[in-house]
Amino acid sequence: MHEWSVADAVIRTVVNWASENHVTQVKKVKVGIPSFSFLDVEILKEAFDTMKGDSPLDKAELEVVFKDPIFKCRNCGLTFSLKDVSDQLESLKGEFGEEYPLHLMPALAPSFLKCPRCGSHDIVAETQDITIDGIEVEESGTAQTVG
Amino acid sequence: MEPLRQLAKEKLRGKKAIAVMSAKGGVGKSLVSALLALSLRGAVLVDLDVHTMATTKLFGLEDKLHEVTKNGIEPFKLGELGVVSLGGIVKDKYVVLPGGNAGEVMESLVAYANLGDANYVVFDLPPGLGDEVLTLERLTDFFPVVVTTPSAVSVKVVEYVMRYLNEREKRPLLVVNMAYMDCGDDKVARPFGDLKNAEDLAKRYNAPVVELPIDPSLESYIGKVHEYDGVVKGKVKKELVPYLT
Ligand SMILES: [Zn+2]
Repeated sequence: MHEWSVADAVIRTVVNWASENHVTQVKKVKVGIPSFSFLDVEILKEAFDTMKGDSPLDKAELEVVFKDPIFKCRNCGLTFSLKDVSDQLESLKGEFGEEYPLHLMPALAPSFLKCPRCGSHDIVAETQDITIDGIEVEESGTAQTVG
Repeated sequence: MEPLRQLAKEKLRGKKAIAVMSAKGGVGKSLVSALLALSLRGAVLVDLDVHTMATTKLFGLEDKLHEVTKNGIEPFKLGELGVVSLGGIVKDKYVVLPGGNAGEVMESLVAYANLGDANYVVFDLPPGLGDEVLTLERLTDFFPVVVTTPSAVSVKVVEYVMRYLNEREKRPLLVVNMAYMDCGDDKVARPFGDLKNAEDLAKRYNAPVVELPIDPSLESYIGKVHEYDGVVKGKVKKELVPYLT
């Protein structure tokens, strides 16, 4: 269900961007999502298609790219990937079920994942929350990359 | 482009945001937030004090998880009041976050919450001047309610918050919690000191002051603060709410 909120955030942001940049027709929106949020792409696309109507996005397609974060422990310096903490992630999903904390808020990662070497929670993730990584517009037919 | 921030800003647009702040813990900030939100018509209380999550304890919502629908994270309903808390996302887990993440978590909480047609959003902020205050400034033009007790140390510490708000050209309301106890026969006791320090502070920053009494019976409403209708709530309704409506 949380996918609907994410789609809402993406649509509103792009609609705003379009109005500021006088863009009338968006072809494609490229969205980056932290992989450990395990958002369901099908539901996200369905939500996007349902809510995009009556806007410069009404013909837009959603492209989802899952970002695998690289974590760095600020205590011992270890750099590790999601795969190194997959057991922690699995037990979290088991405990909370579908709407588990990192699904709703990837920024909570340091609270729920710890360094596999020293156990510290003082970790930083390189990729954070959802980002809009590119918008393709009708006018020029070329992809524009936006922050 | 930051989708989270965008959505959070839009969710707050057209609503009056009230930030209940303090420089010090233990001054009853969460209780003031709760009673204030309960006294406003159509309010959502957003608990941003992720380290204590006193709000969930006041309302007896520990271990309850927020329902998530197509409209977002559904606030807990207590009569007309909606309550949103990180506690409803993380249960009884501790929350330890680097600074940047704290702001992001807060933006997520506002962005994804279903604030519906609430007129007021009351934010219970953690003590001090941290990421939560800066994040809230990015999201909305909030009205600050600064909570202190009469004690000299509390007033001194709260001055930092007053000075900061003053520099940001915000005019806060100063609430002196636990200011006095009604002893009958027009007598009041002031066990935490007289009002002089707080009044001087308010004068210096041109802020109105509201005093809230001590009510020993409040203790028995921890876990069901929404059922409380005693003297403190009466004062909040009569003297605090008019500044905000
Ligand atoms: Zn480590």
